Amino acid sequence: MITKTFAAKTLGAAAISMMMSVSAHAACAFQNTVPVKSLTAAFEAWKAVTSAMAECGNVQAELDQTFRTKQPAAFAANPALYQIGGVSNGTLVPLLNAGSIRPLDDLVAKYGKNLTPNQLIKIDGKTVAVAMMVNAQHFMYREDLFKELGIDAPKTYDDVLAAAAKIKASGKVAFPLGATMKSGFDISIDFINLFFGYGGVPTKPDNTPSINTEAGVKTLEMMKKLSAFMDPEFLVSDSTFVQKQFQQGKIAMANLWASRAGALDDPKESQFVGKIAMASAPAAVAGGKPATMLWWDGMVFAKNISDAEADAAFRVAMEGIDEEMVKANNNAAVWLVKGFVPGRLAQGAIASANAGAPNYPSTTQMGIIQAAIGEKAADFMTGKTTATETLAAIEATYLTKAKEAGLVK
Amino acid sequence: MADTKALQPPLALKALTAGFVALWAVVAIFPLFWVAIMSFKLPLDALSSNPLNVIFGPVTRANSGGLSVLSLLIGLAALIAVYQAPVKFGKAIATKLAINGSMVVGWLLMATGFLIGASVFLFMALPAVTWLVNSALSPIPVIGMLAQPVIGVTLEHYKAVWIQYEFYRNFMNSMMITFGVVTISLTVGTLAAYGLARTKSNLAFWLLIAALVFRALPHSVLVTGYIPVFINSREWLSPLWTSPVTGWFFNLFSANAPSLYGQPLAIIVVLVSINQPFTIWMMRSFFMNIPNELDEAARVDGCTHFGAFWRVIMPVMWPGVITTGLFSFLLAYNDYLVTALLLDAQSQTMVPAISQYLNRDTKLSDQIEAIAAAVSITAPLFLLVMVFQKQIVSGLTAGAVKG
Amino acid sequence: MKARTFAMFVAPSVVLMLIFIALPLVSVFVQSFYSTQQVFEQVQVESCTPGFISQTCTTELRSRQVLDAAGKPVTQTSFVGLASYHELLKPDVVAKAFSSAGGGLAAVMNIDFYKALRFTLSFTLITLPLVIGLGLLIAIAVNNVTRAVRGPLIFVSLLPFIVTPVIGALSIRWLFIGDGILTAALKWITGTNISMFAQGWTIEVLMITYRVWHVAPFAFVVFYAALQTVDQDTLESAIVDGASRFERLRHIVIPHLMPLIVFIALIHLMDSYRVFEEVIGFSSEAHRISLQWLTFSFLTPDETGNRSITRASASSMLTMVGIVLLLIPLLMRTWRDNRVSR
Repeated sequence: MITKTFAAKTLGAAAISMMMSVSAHAACAFQNTVPVKSLTAAFEAWKAVTSAMAECGNVQAELDQTFRTKQPAAFAANPALYQIGGVSNGTLVPLLNAGSIRPLDDLVAKYGKNLTPNQLIKIDGKTVAVAMMVNAQHFMYREDLFKELGIDAPKTYDDVLAAAAKIKASGKVAFPLGATMKSGFDISIDFINLFFGYGGVPTKPDNTPSINTEAGVKTLEMMKKLSAFMDPEFLVSDSTFVQKQFQQGKIAMANLWASRAGALDDPKESQFVGKIAMASAPAAVAGGKPATMLWWDGMVFAKNISDAEADAAFRVAMEGIDEEMVKANNNAAVWLVKGFVPGRLAQGAIASANAGAPNYPSTTQMGIIQAAIGEKAADFMTGKTTATETLAAIEATYLTKAKEAGLVK
Repeated sequence: MADTKALQPPLALKALTAGFVALWAVVAIFPLFWVAIMSFKLPLDALSSNPLNVIFGPVTRANSGGLSVLSLLIGLAALIAVYQAPVKFGKAIATKLAINGSMVVGWLLMATGFLIGASVFLFMALPAVTWLVNSALSPIPVIGMLAQPVIGVTLEHYKAVWIQYEFYRNFMNSMMITFGVVTISLTVGTLAAYGLARTKSNLAFWLLIAALVFRALPHSVLVTGYIPVFINSREWLSPLWTSPVTGWFFNLFSANAPSLYGQPLAIIVVLVSINQPFTIWMMRSFFMNIPNELDEAARVDGCTHFGAFWRVIMPVMWPGVITTGLFSFLLAYNDYLVTALLLDAQSQTMVPAISQYLNRDTKLSDQIEAIAAAVSITAPLFLLVMVFQKQIVSGLTAGAVKG
Repeated sequence: MKARTFAMFVAPSVVLMLIFIALPLVSVFVQSFYSTQQVFEQVQVESCTPGFISQTCTTELRSRQVLDAAGKPVTQTSFVGLASYHELLKPDVVAKAFSSAGGGLAAVMNIDFYKALRFTLSFTLITLPLVIGLGLLIAIAVNNVTRAVRGPLIFVSLLPFIVTPVIGALSIRWLFIGDGILTAALKWITGTNISMFAQGWTIEVLMITYRVWHVAPFAFVVFYAALQTVDQDTLESAIVDGASRFERLRHIVIPHLMPLIVFIALIHLMDSYRVFEEVIGFSSEAHRISLQWLTFSFLTPDETGNRSITRASASSMLTMVGIVLLLIPLLMRTWRDNRVSR
């Protein structure tokens, strides 16, 4: 009996996949003959884009969440090992510094008629990358629970603490709050969001750090207060962990990436479909801008490849981020591409942007300071060091790294 | 008679031993067993915090059917049969298949045949039989109850991994690299080990100590050294191809200088080198147990050193070769650091591919797919140990264990 | 064997080891004394990034990498001597910590290198006796059960050892993380909620448990193989002399196994000193780090692609010194044995 269902399902799946591949070939506007390889991150939006690119033929996509360890070297090689690279504000910097990506103005003029000006990342007047989506950490919460307890969506982090206390008292969920506080990249993003929210500026014009300030102390203290309402395992909690907590109803609210919103509405995985609302990220101080940053994801093209390869790669990439792909994957991301219809899930990112959330700066200093925070902030959270000791350690780590990089004499 | 009686342990000790062994067996197998169960469930079941949900998988059963008690019984019987086959008949078949009396070839043929046979049996014949039995018995009252699905099972994640993500490519890459590493490693290592076992010079001794220190090196240190060379190799090597003096020679092999990055062959050489210290130490201790008189006798008969090695020593060495080969196999098959950093998507082996599934973690189903891929990786290792477990023990008994 | 023949036999192996092990090692050693820096210039540039509706362009002072005529970044390499070792070991901070006003040992343990060294050493030294003891126990127990079940038992016992390490670590993690079923079981048994990943010592216990589970089978199979070669005559005469079970174990079996215990200890010291997979698999970075992880983290480029090659080289050299020191007693023993056997 069971085998019968298996057989039926297999046949069905096979038929569907065959149909898809037939229609897929029709989906690409041209038949690509030049071998093109891409190296990108591996989240949902990249899956959609690379499979749309693959329809053109001769495309090999490598989706790897740890791509940043190999991308700079692979693009600096001559010939470059990949033609197309997926980057964000942060990962663009090493490629820019190494001069291993090509200016795109002529290619945009030739093949980019469907791009909006908003998508072109320009530095010093030259287009260096093509953006396809924006991403931000914003507030997500259990609407049903908030209504039941009579809580409004919080506007500031003090509101968040008040709401968390109420929810904790009600005992409706295991932990009121979730947060991406895994040591390393995740915790450093949380820190930076709040730090900018409190009006901090991490580096001075001469590239020396200014983390050990009032804003820094406030940031750490707020993180500590928030952590009291979290699962005690918050130092291993990454985006997937928080997503799972939402899907299983263990938490009532969290600041989470916009690109994760889709999964919370997936009936196959989530027990709370349609019950999680999206809102702007809370501000750190009353009346301030949302304490989050806007990120973009997009594509760059290697410099050390022939012009014919660059042509083919760019055309394939344009097919990957065309209207058709966006229509098929509308909820996978907050797309910048024409044809995107912002749905319920995109509201949080849009509200944060409209309320003036700053762009994440693509600078070398930022990357280094973030690495330093990621290494040292956990010591404060575990209670090993005090706030000022932690901030001093972050500054010292930053200085060592910045000297090694040549940024500070 | 009295002696054997004295060797018999008292009852209490017997019970204690049995209890301990049983406990250990559970500890040894439980994590793997549990992960294997998870891989057959939909995410809501697999990641449920209630263990009964994970085992019985109510959501999975509702969505994609499941196994009945009868199917479970048939499956269990089949698994036992698969386990027993190589243990009972492996050696006999291997002896039959041995070409020119070379047992190694016989074992290899037998193992390959077993792998293919077992997978055909488990994945094609077994489902057909259980389906027949279930549909024949389900109309009968009472017995029909046994044919109703009780445990939810889905093959969705395996399909996604093997078909949609083309995991078979990674499988082929793994096989190629593993095969390369085992053969080259054994060839090079056996030669060196024989040389080292039959020399009394100080140089040989220092070589062994150096090898021991090399074995202790953290691999991340070595990989740091490799990365720039691998990535820039085409740029660095191209003068050899373009210069008039050497160009004609290298052009015989390829039109352009090769890029080592992503080349399985380059990875094989790297892994062979990393594995050399262990191989030569292990093989050397096997050779030490073979009396020197044996090759001296052959030398008297007019053999060269190499001739003696090949005609006289090698034929008695095969337990050692198989045991050492298995360790090389494990190293190459399980390697993560080297393959993850030096291979690209097209030539990637299974282990780094899995960590990519894990990192591609936006959905829960991705996690279960990673688990399914992990189970797929482990399956060949299971079969391998089934085939060779006796040889591991007898191989170790024969030589390497003398230290 | 003549030197020439010997050379021919060992040449391929030695060449491989020289190129792929010794050469990288030398280059790492040299690199630890040099530092390569990029050259930056401060320029005013306008850069544009997407907003949600419209683009935002800003003009700001930017540190830009200087590129040469060929479009490659300009770099400066300089000899820094022991600076990176100094940076790692921070002798001044250590001296201060132990002075009258210092924070003592706790302050030293906040320095990454000592933190990693502390964990690596205790991990190595705690797992060592556990692995040997458990391996020996299983071997003796399996050797004493009925012959019929020995085959399946050996098979089951070998599984934790052959399983791919990354996957083994992950499967243990899946059982414990969040509300994993074993955490739930612990909660049920003890009545309190123990979050295994919330504090350092529980993670450390998990890591040690995993390593023992993974390696004890190797020790087991080696010891078990050796138990098959225990001299039966000696055993029997011991019985005739009235030696108890324990005395036989103590005076005959253990001495017979001694070279193997040394062998396992040697292999285990090497392997556990480079503990790394556990740190990744259990994401213990916030609480526990190991020496090889420290090197790895220096080598991993951050968001902006910077690697600390110099400090990585220095830390790997220090790691090497450590393992050689640890191995010296065992190396001496191997040395003596080899001398005697000639």
